[in-house]
Amino acid sequence: MNDLIYLYGLIPETEANAQSIGELKDFGGKGGLRLVPIQDTAAIVCTLDGNEYSEELIKDKTSNDMEWLQEKAFHHHETVLALAKQFTVIPLKFCTLYKSEESLISSIEPNAEKLTKTFESIAGMEEWNLKIYCDDKALKKQFSDSNPALAEKMLEISKLPKGKQFFEKRKIDKWIDGEIEKEKDQVSEGIHEKLCGHARSGHVKKTWGKDATGRNDPMTWNSVYLVDKSGVDAFLNRIEELQKEMETDGWQLEASGPWPAYHFSSIS
Amino acid sequence: MSVRESVENKDIALIDILDVILDKGVAIKADLVISIAGVDLVYLDLRVLIASVESLVQAQQNNSKTVSSEQFDMQKEALCDATGQPVER
Repeated sequence: MNDLIYLYGLIPETEANAQSIGELKDFGGKGGLRLVPIQDTAAIVCTLDGNEYSEELIKDKTSNDMEWLQEKAFHHHETVLALAKQFTVIPLKFCTLYKSEESLISSIEPNAEKLTKTFESIAGMEEWNLKIYCDDKALKKQFSDSNPALAEKMLEISKLPKGKQFFEKRKIDKWIDGEIEKEKDQVSEGIHEKLCGHARSGHVKKTWGKDATGRNDPMTWNSVYLVDKSGVDAFLNRIEELQKEMETDGWQLEASGPWPAYHFSSIS
Repeated sequence: MSVRESVENKDIALIDILDVILDKGVAIKADLVISIAGVDLVYLDLRVLIASVESLVQAQQNNSKTVSSEQFDMQKEALCDATGQPVER
């Protein structure tokens, strides 16, 4: 079987000439990584032994062997992350594979201009992720406490016949839920705007369900920011300040990073 | 320790990594791009993965709980109480 070329990321050739990529392990854990110069870009790759790896095997493993997937996903992430600490990296999708170096080169070459632009926009930058969680119960209590009319209405309802009570209560609950969702969106958007002030750009992502987070408090916001390295301390300090102000009200702000510029490196 | 260091040293969950390396890594026409049945998987089928990790953790802690009908009935009753719905017995 033919060997495969695994592409981790692309870096500007000038940076590749200035320093070595160091001792990073390859996908199989035995060899190292190497550079393939393509015009003004250097591709960071490793070779997968065709006797060990085939398209079928990788497809099968990613779908059926979670332990393998976990190990390789971490490997991809850690490798690109280590490179991003040294270089301006355009990170590639997990398991981007070429059948030969010629094929790799002919795929990258037509994108030269876009790559140069992307390098310019992410140079000296880091990606940071923010996830916001909110304890609905705490928010509901606050909402009820700050709405005296609501307590009155509840008292009114408690005097109704049982059957009617149930429907009236449900109506009120629905209304409260709606108000709380609005409140959560507003507060989260406010935080996002504040953080955008510390970032080159910001991008809002889908929130995850409880199945994915494994937490009791729902995720109300998920966003990423491209931050100048010199501004990261201010960015993170701002998050910490906001967290301290808001945690008693049931809010949790969780930052993670630095990430390679995954969300800001689109070349399409 | 600076805020940066404490954030940087936090463990990153597998789902966070998959969410970006499957979904947001740059796609340049490749001979093979292995996707795990597409992007939406990150939000759907990864539950299976998370569940398998969770059951692993639970097994390690030796406190794996199975959902029993008793438990279910108790929860149902509690729900009925909370909503003021009449309980069928």
